[in-house]
Amino acid sequence: MKKMLKKMKAMTILEYGLLLLLAALFIFPMLWMVVSSMKPEASVFKDLSSLRAFLPSLNPGNWFKTYAEVINRFSVGTYLFNSIFYGLSFAACSILINSLAGFAFAKINFSGKKIIFGMMLALLIVPVETVLIPQFTIMNGLGLVNTRLAVILPGIASVFNIYLFRNFFIAIPEEIIESARIDGASIVKIFFKIMLPMSKPAIATVGVLSFIGSWNDYIWPLMVLTDKSKFSMQVAITTINTTQPVYINQVMAVLTISTIPLIIIYVVAQKYILQGLGGSGTGIK
Amino acid sequence: MNKKSTLKENLIGYGFMSPALILLGIFLVIPVFMVVYYSFTDYYLLTPDQRQFVGLSNFVQLFKDPIFIKSIFNTLKFVVWIIPVQLGASLGLALIVNKARKGNIFFKVAFFAPVVMSLVVISILWLYLLNPNDGLINTLLMKIGIDAQPFLTSPKQAMYTIVFVSAWQGAGYQMLLLLGGMQNIPQDVYEAAELDGFNKFQQFIYITMPLLKPTALFVLLTTLISAFKLIVQPMVMTQGGPMNSTMTMVYYIYQTGFTDRMVGYSSSIALIFTTMIGMISIAQRRLMKEDN
Repeated sequence: MKKMLKKMKAMTILEYGLLLLLAALFIFPMLWMVVSSMKPEASVFKDLSSLRAFLPSLNPGNWFKTYAEVINRFSVGTYLFNSIFYGLSFAACSILINSLAGFAFAKINFSGKKIIFGMMLALLIVPVETVLIPQFTIMNGLGLVNTRLAVILPGIASVFNIYLFRNFFIAIPEEIIESARIDGASIVKIFFKIMLPMSKPAIATVGVLSFIGSWNDYIWPLMVLTDKSKFSMQVAITTINTTQPVYINQVMAVLTISTIPLIIIYVVAQKYILQGLGGSGTGIK
Repeated sequence: MNKKSTLKENLIGYGFMSPALILLGIFLVIPVFMVVYYSFTDYYLLTPDQRQFVGLSNFVQLFKDPIFIKSIFNTLKFVVWIIPVQLGASLGLALIVNKARKGNIFFKVAFFAPVVMSLVVISILWLYLLNPNDGLINTLLMKIGIDAQPFLTSPKQAMYTIVFVSAWQGAGYQMLLLLGGMQNIPQDVYEAAELDGFNKFQQFIYITMPLLKPTALFVLLTTLISAFKLIVQPMVMTQGGPMNSTMTMVYYIYQTGFTDRMVGYSSSIALIFTTMIGMISIAQRRLMKEDN
């Protein structure tokens, strides 16, 4: 009996040991990124061959020096502001425009609804990556290249989000709309005063996923922006990473700065992110 | 209930839809037609007015273009490797965190951690970690007596390295999807199996696998489609090199159309690519329907 207990204990320890090793594989890059930003450039290389690689500078006074340097050297604050601005305005527009369309498909009996809906679903097949160049020529034609509007405009209307809102609105009982109508409320009022407030979960899901999508987007803003002062964080990162002289600790500081907002969002809004269960998420998104 | 729609309802319906429809029209529908049209022209980005209809000549040229041919094989290589690697990894991780144990939440968070970093961030981060001269990984390898590896600077290893980095980043997300599927399987099915003398492995084969199939299929198909669209990782880590070994189809669309400004040529690649993806999507819908 005692022997068995001992064996079980050994097994448990072995299990946890292996799991910790596996967990390390997934977190060591992030850990290295953060600690490397918290030490002088020379130490980053010196520490590589020891466990010190995973510790910040032993002198806490050095911890935020790199951040001060990189913020001085590049307009990190501007890039951060730009990304937050793009993310928030993209999320707000996504919510408004897709919920309006979703509501029409769910609750309004207009002619041609089925055909339009079917055609819209067919659009889901089109890989957005293949229309980037015509999107760019259209932007150019509209005279919007190198404007903030160009960054957010193409992705706002999303078949996936319209579909999500439609499914949410369909579940709301018809009686609620009927009774409001009898009370003399206009359809616009019903939408903004009754339907939208009832659909907070859908709004949160679309809002959060849109913000994350906009934050992580790289190729489109890279194409339409030439003015550095309008760069999003992701575009700025690659620029900073290629501006000589390149200091690893500064690059890691910028990577860390650009990741912190996402960590906060994932922690605060994890419920809605999982609800979205979009077809995304792989190295590959 | 089959009422005819009134004028008022039509006005309201189209009114509510119009912002979305207009945007979808301008930025998705029209561009699709533009791709089809451009692919038969010699449109050069800076001289749009001089474009001429050139028939199939772009397509003829494409199949003589070694980089294009290579980009197809590179894309397929990535797809063929990422599917088993990432799916296997996410299934394994889901099984691990599905077992009740103390501190499980720590493991779940750890496996999910790479997901919260953007593709650009993980690409740059791994670029430094995998540096052939003074990267952390090679320093570690040499310490345990293994030669430093070129990873991203060798045409033989670069694509496999990108497969690894991509799977490493995405597995945590799919782990959560699969875990959700696993936890939807009623516990009493397992209890009944246990009474009938099924061991854990048999339970996995005969209960978990079949009941998890819809979720697994969804994960498989979304991974498949998004794997075809690989671009950011090679763009940031290798610029398609070395020797075009990581040039993918979507990257080549971008490079020919935007960097080299040959919009016509690029559009014909886009058209071929869209056709490929379209066929896969249609096959996918068939598969999903059969499954239901």
